[in-house]
Amino acid sequence: MDALVQKTAAETAWIEGGAGLSWLGAVQSKAAANFARSGLPNRRLEDWKWTDLKRLIDGAYPPVGAVKTDAGEIDALVAASPLKDIAATRLIFVNGRFDAGRSLIDASSGVEIVPLSATGRPEWVKVTSTDDDPIDDLNLAHVSDGAALRVPAGARPEGVIELCFVSAPGEAATVTTRNVVVMEEGSSLTLIETHLGNAVAHVANTVTEIDLGKGARLDRIKLQRDDATSFHLANLVATLGEGADFRDFTFTLGARVTRQQGFVRFAGENANARIAGAYLLGGRQHADTRLVVDHAVPGGASRELFKCVMDDEARGIFQGKVVVRRDAQKTDGKQSSHGLLLSPTAEFDAKPELEIFADDVVCGHGATSGEIDDDHMFYLRSRGIPEGEARSLLVAAFVGEAIEAVENEGVREVLTELAARWLAGERGAIT
Amino acid sequence: MLEIKNLHVKVADEDREILRGVDLSVKAGEVHAIMGPNGSGKSTLSYVLTGRDGYEVIEGSVTYKGEDLLAMDVDERAAKGVFLAFQYPVEIPGVATMQFLKVALNAQKKARGEPELTTPDFMRLVRERSQKLGIATEMLKRPVNVGFSGGEKKRAEILQMAILEPTLCVLDETDSGLDIDALKVVADGVNALRSPDRAMIVITHYQRLLDYIVPDVVHVLSKGRIVRTGDKSLALELEKSGYAAYADEAA
Repeated sequence: MDALVQKTAAETAWIEGGAGLSWLGAVQSKAAANFARSGLPNRRLEDWKWTDLKRLIDGAYPPVGAVKTDAGEIDALVAASPLKDIAATRLIFVNGRFDAGRSLIDASSGVEIVPLSATGRPEWVKVTSTDDDPIDDLNLAHVSDGAALRVPAGARPEGVIELCFVSAPGEAATVTTRNVVVMEEGSSLTLIETHLGNAVAHVANTVTEIDLGKGARLDRIKLQRDDATSFHLANLVATLGEGADFRDFTFTLGARVTRQQGFVRFAGENANARIAGAYLLGGRQHADTRLVVDHAVPGGASRELFKCVMDDEARGIFQGKVVVRRDAQKTDGKQSSHGLLLSPTAEFDAKPELEIFADDVVCGHGATSGEIDDDHMFYLRSRGIPEGEARSLLVAAFVGEAIEAVENEGVREVLTELAARWLAGERGAIT
Repeated sequence: MLEIKNLHVKVADEDREILRGVDLSVKAGEVHAIMGPNGSGKSTLSYVLTGRDGYEVIEGSVTYKGEDLLAMDVDERAAKGVFLAFQYPVEIPGVATMQFLKVALNAQKKARGEPELTTPDFMRLVRERSQKLGIATEMLKRPVNVGFSGGEKKRAEILQMAILEPTLCVLDETDSGLDIDALKVVADGVNALRSPDRAMIVITHYQRLLDYIVPDVVHVLSKGRIVRTGDKSLALELEKSGYAAYADEAA
């Protein structure tokens, strides 16, 4: 049957496009075969009903080859990364390839850093595929590079590491990257992922795999400002060991279409995950976050908080699923998502799902969507604050409640500033 | 300072008039109390003066310092010195009280063409004014009114008034929800702001507040009209006889 379904230009370009890293071997060929069979997901699949990639990705974006890039343009993008001054180590990836010359590595951090494309990789650098996921299949089929990081047991480097992905392929292309983060027992790290793009439409496909050992802690902050003509497809796959602590914050300002997915699995008891995010969308931007938090063992705690601002004709979507398996007693899971609509043509859709098979758990979810509260506006204006300023103050406060989740103060300040600049009209990609 | 003439107001989506010909003249330095039963239009009057959406002026005029108040935007009225102490101050999550006060004060100064306050000067002003009202600086770090007790909310309203230094203060049921100690603190704060170039309109259901904020003039508002005006003894009289007589009179 599937063979009879006509492939779209995007699908054909990917199926026929060259393979990525050769060392992936069978994993890669299997993923390519999976994608050739499944193609892009469409709205008939429940998880994709709001983000029909088959329809949305309306052109061919072949895997990026050896493109000619304008060094000045790349330098400008790298320099424009809002979080660059916070990072002690910056690993720069240009069009999906590690750029050692532009990177800055603080060797004293004790973190082992290996580009995924390096020859002679240590044994811990390995990838795991995600079942039935076309983003992951595409990623494994075409991945060209990425960062593999290992924080040794007990190491708690203070310096922040930034993985900065700059895409300026100069032509319609797909840039595919994959990161592997291994946090050994008792280690901790703050990791920033920055995704920046220029004005040529492209597809960014990026996957980050995280393995948190016993008692390890990782704070990940992902800032996405791909160009507003581009597609951003991103997966996060995190496995939490006993007592591990995972803090994730995703800030979505860019791309025409964003689909980001998080698969977080509680593999060890008494682990903690706090997953927060914010969208600031305008024009016809579309952003869809799907989270699956899987409590497989007892005593886990998960918190999800998303605050999404949509202006113009933008559309925000949040789909959060919390699974509590039969053995996962004493699980504490709470999820909330809130949309703030700044225009009558903006839209927010939320789909919270709880699948609970254990009987001694505390779980809940809440979702709201609305406009700016008239009473709030009147109160601020009655104190002399002009309408525009009052609006900005309220929107910043709305998003600020999610940004609060970021523990690093410097990062929090930069994100707050980015939100203020967005409200002041600086939207879309960084130029 | 304030001249209200034959003011008729209705709720935007309804036909029923709430204010049915209010006349009121308030001079600088005066404190006027407006008393009346629930539903007499007291709060509507406060909202019309401050420009809240949802009300429609059918007839009449409001002149403030010689200008047409009704033609001004909400924030413009505030910058010109009109202040409403809310009956139910709104909680605004995510906006720190301190930040809110600074933005408001400087927005007003900017609108009036005055130099804005620097952060140290502003901090000094807030510290001084909040001490007088027994407000801990810690409270001002919290989001606007979030988690404040009823008394804290009312004190915070008076603090805003003390910092913004308006010329026309409208206090809407400032006594509601306050115990006697809190009431005294709030009243002291209000009395400290009495001055020859500032007028106040104190809206209240009960006479109790007027023991502490002693008015120059007392009006009785009933069914959208001022039905009686007198001095402070009128408030005491109302305390004894209640509003029943006025309900009949206005009907």
